Amino acid sequence: KDKSASSEDSTPEGAAKRQEDGPETPKQQLLDIIGGMKVEVSYRKKLQRLKASESKKQAMNKLEGLDSEGSVPQGITEDTQRGKPLNPELVKAASLVASSLPRNKKQTESELLAQLRRHEETTDTQKKGGTINIRNVISEMTIKRQSPAQRAARISGHISLQLEEDGQRRRRERSSAQSMDSKRSLKVGKRLNIFTKASAEPEHALKTVSSPTIWDLEFAKEVAAVTAQPPRNGFEEMIQWTKEGILWEFPIDNEVGMEDDAEFYEHIFLEKHLEGFPKEGPIRHFMELVICGLSKNPYLSVKQKVEHIEWFQKYFEEKKELLQEI
Amino acid sequence: MAAAALCWALRAARQVLPSPCPRQVRSYYVDWRMLRDVKRRKMAYEYADERLRINAIRKNSILPKELQEVADKEIAALPRDSCPVRIRNRCVLTSRPRGVKRRWRLSRIVFRHFADHAQMSGVQRAMW
Repeated sequence: KDKSASSEDSTPEGAAKRQEDGPETPKQQLLDIIGGMKVEVSYRKKLQRLKASESKKQAMNKLEGLDSEGSVPQGITEDTQRGKPLNPELVKAASLVASSLPRNKKQTESELLAQLRRHEETTDTQKKGGTINIRNVISEMTIKRQSPAQRAARISGHISLQLEEDGQRRRRERSSAQSMDSKRSLKVGKRLNIFTKASAEPEHALKTVSSPTIWDLEFAKEVAAVTAQPPRNGFEEMIQWTKEGILWEFPIDNEVGMEDDAEFYEHIFLEKHLEGFPKEGPIRHFMELVICGLSKNPYLSVKQKVEHIEWFQKYFEEKKELLQEI
Repeated sequence: MAAAALCWALRAARQVLPSPCPRQVRSYYVDWRMLRDVKRRKMAYEYADERLRINAIRKNSILPKELQEVADKEIAALPRDSCPVRIRNRCVLTSRPRGVKRRWRLSRIVFRHFADHAQMSGVQRAMW
């Protein structure tokens, strides 16, 4: 019954009817649509057809005998042997196309069928939700590398433009990235010297003033007195206090008054200062104890320690006569 | 006395005034006793190092005793106001010698007065 129906319905008109009748019986689904096949076939119908085609390979084998052309069954057997049967309608269409072309029929048909296979594979994987080989796709892609400065500029642009709208942000990002790349850079401009001590700049300012006379000083004082407005707010008051010295400077520097340029070994190894003393005797013993105590003292500067030792030297020299009596 | 307190604070902090502050400075101490105390403090600061060194010779078991006796005589010869023992921690505002809290340098009456008027930062009436 199916064979006769398939042979009669090998027309484009029958194809439309076949599609409508598709979901009814699985055997009817296998009948091919020749020629003018609709491209937009619903996925549901296609799924059903695929399932039916997978389960019923015997029907496919039957189609071999149906076709009048000899090239088709060979193509179908090849497809079935590969394991994943193609949509028989497409197979039929491919065979017809191959026959219509003037060239070698077998070759064209095999190529067309191979293409169909690939299409089917991709659609099936997408339907199943399986992993399309992303690795193959990504491995071919190369990483675009940015310079760290550009990246930093872009990141800063991202952070600064977070609050704006999306559309505006994208436009501004592009323009700002371009402007940052071309115009600005991090190392241009005057340094504020907030976290590092400003060393060179105040020296330049001092060099210009040579020898200010008393009149100059008075004039400067007058100008300062006139221009010094009372502070408008708390910030200006704090600035004034910092200038006067009432308020400390922030970030707090623990070594404001101290300028100890000496290294640690100059603090600890003080034996070289003991050259003026006799090498034996109670005085030497006493001085070694003094040096031991000084080396452990973190509060005195090297100068103060040296002064300490020198005072003792002077003292003992004054008392030399007394010591010699003993 | 406020100026003296300021001076002490500056010395302790070791900050340098970059420019003279055109402010009202109190030029009188509360009383003469306070002034004498200020003088004693200044002298003690000057002679601190010498006293320390001479005492190091005196309080010693290594050096000969004759040397230590000489050192005794020397330290006694120093001016009387140079010893730190004569300093009295008086109240900074009223020069009261007794009842002075060391942290605030104020006598108990002044401290209580300021604390009740909420002019002492972080000080609260105790209640438990």
